Amino acid sequence: MEEDPNGKHPMSATTHIHQTHTLSHEGNGRKISVKVLRQSDPRGGSHWETFEVPYEPGMNVTTVLQRIAANPTNAEHEHSTPVAYDSCCLEEVCGACTMVINGRVRQACSALVDSLLADSPEGIELRPMTKFKVVRDLFVDRSPMFAALKRIKAWVAVDGYHDIGPGPRISPREQDEAYPLSRCMTCGCCVEACPQFNDHSTFIGPAAISQAILFNAHPTARVERDDRLAVLTGVGGIVDCGNSQNCVKVCPKDIPLTTSIAKAGRDTTLYKIRQWFGR
Amino acid sequence: MAEHEHQAAESPADKYYFLIRRLHSLTGLVPVGVFLVVHLSINAMVLAPGPVGSEFQRSVERIHSLGPLLAPVEIVGIFLPLLFHALLGFVIIFTCQSNAQQYRYGSNIRYMLQRATGIIAFVFIFYHVWQMHWFGEWAGGGRFRLYDESGGALAATTTAATIQAAWWIAPIYAIGVLSAVYHLANGIWTSLITWGITIRPRSQQAAGYVCAALGIVLSLAGLGALNGFRALNVTEGTAQKTGHSVTAATRDR
Repeated sequence: MEEDPNGKHPMSATTHIHQTHTLSHEGNGRKISVKVLRQSDPRGGSHWETFEVPYEPGMNVTTVLQRIAANPTNAEHEHSTPVAYDSCCLEEVCGACTMVINGRVRQACSALVDSLLADSPEGIELRPMTKFKVVRDLFVDRSPMFAALKRIKAWVAVDGYHDIGPGPRISPREQDEAYPLSRCMTCGCCVEACPQFNDHSTFIGPAAISQAILFNAHPTARVERDDRLAVLTGVGGIVDCGNSQNCVKVCPKDIPLTTSIAKAGRDTTLYKIRQWFGR
Repeated sequence: MAEHEHQAAESPADKYYFLIRRLHSLTGLVPVGVFLVVHLSINAMVLAPGPVGSEFQRSVERIHSLGPLLAPVEIVGIFLPLLFHALLGFVIIFTCQSNAQQYRYGSNIRYMLQRATGIIAFVFIFYHVWQMHWFGEWAGGGRFRLYDESGGALAATTTAATIQAAWWIAPIYAIGVLSAVYHLANGIWTSLITWGITIRPRSQQAAGYVCAALGIVLSLAGLGALNGFRALNVTEGTAQKTGHSVTAATRDR
């Protein structure tokens, strides 16, 4: 599509809603203002850059970033570079494209432009998550989250690859409890919104606590239950939760994180009592 | 952040991290929280029917019947746990990075308020103890008196005179009392989660209503008592109990 020589088109929510159904695929020349907080390398120094992206019906933020990559000309008509971002599944199951969209942490792939514009007609603002080191632009290094999963041993330990027969039976009730926790994709939303997870705190974060509860409920993974509880009773463990409960509200997978946290509060207390009084 | 090399060298603070933080939660409830409830209930006695301040006087006398044991009980039972709770509270506040502006959820705002009211209550309690308690006498405070020289009741009148000494004292007390009450009510709600008693959203919500009700009752008791002391006629109250007017003299003693 040709660049509009007159540049910006003012937008309003009402015109947008009417146009959605009548537009051709080119979007009638209407453009979305997309403000991106950019950073060229991990050493810092970020700046805002605005792009005018031609509107298309049914766009998501990933599409917007693809359109910018195809034509990286900013709103000042200067030639820029494609905006770097992480992505993989494009269907909200991998967590890679997590970023702060219009002030709220979520996945770019499931952030629909139509609903974003309905809430804020002036445009879309994209920032990288603030709790992780930025690699470039919207691409952050989420490795601290995976390190936390290693600390709490978020796995079912097996001795080898030989056939050890069927595993223990898990009742449907236990499955119903465990399944929501297993949906976690380690995306980082919960820690991004958590006021206790920051660079002057050692808090391990809601995702890892919830995974500890998930694996402690598994009949085979229970073998390492006390190892997990030892981590949760250590520095940066469960006691660093401040009960702001933002985690459960921003979780894209509706994981009952605050339930896991409260269970961890109970399990760690009992674990410590067992320890102090020698079981 | 969540990059951890803590396992290497464990300091005592790290080793007893969990215990220290659970003690923080516990001291907030017992004795500090219990003390606040008792304190505000006794204050509210100023509103009791009968001769002005007599029921309040009797309640305070019951506490003072501990005699020489009162000071050690106060120090070990209230001041030290309170100081531990407050100082560790400040350490905890330094690990927080509030984002209530960005994520305006009710629970997030309550989280922010819990920290703000903790600071306000701490400053207020210092002011309040200096002003009323005999601990503050050496620094020009310590206005509260149980008896005058002739054994007349002074608990209500000295309290009222202190509150009425300037127009800004009652508002400071209102802010201080409301902060302390909020901090306790919301603190009970979070402690129920901390100790793993309310696990699911429904039980947490139910506990929220109970804590809110407790907070409202304590606020009404606290503000009611404050208003009682504010409205108490200092001259009359003293004269009624002791038979002679000693207000001005005892206030400056």
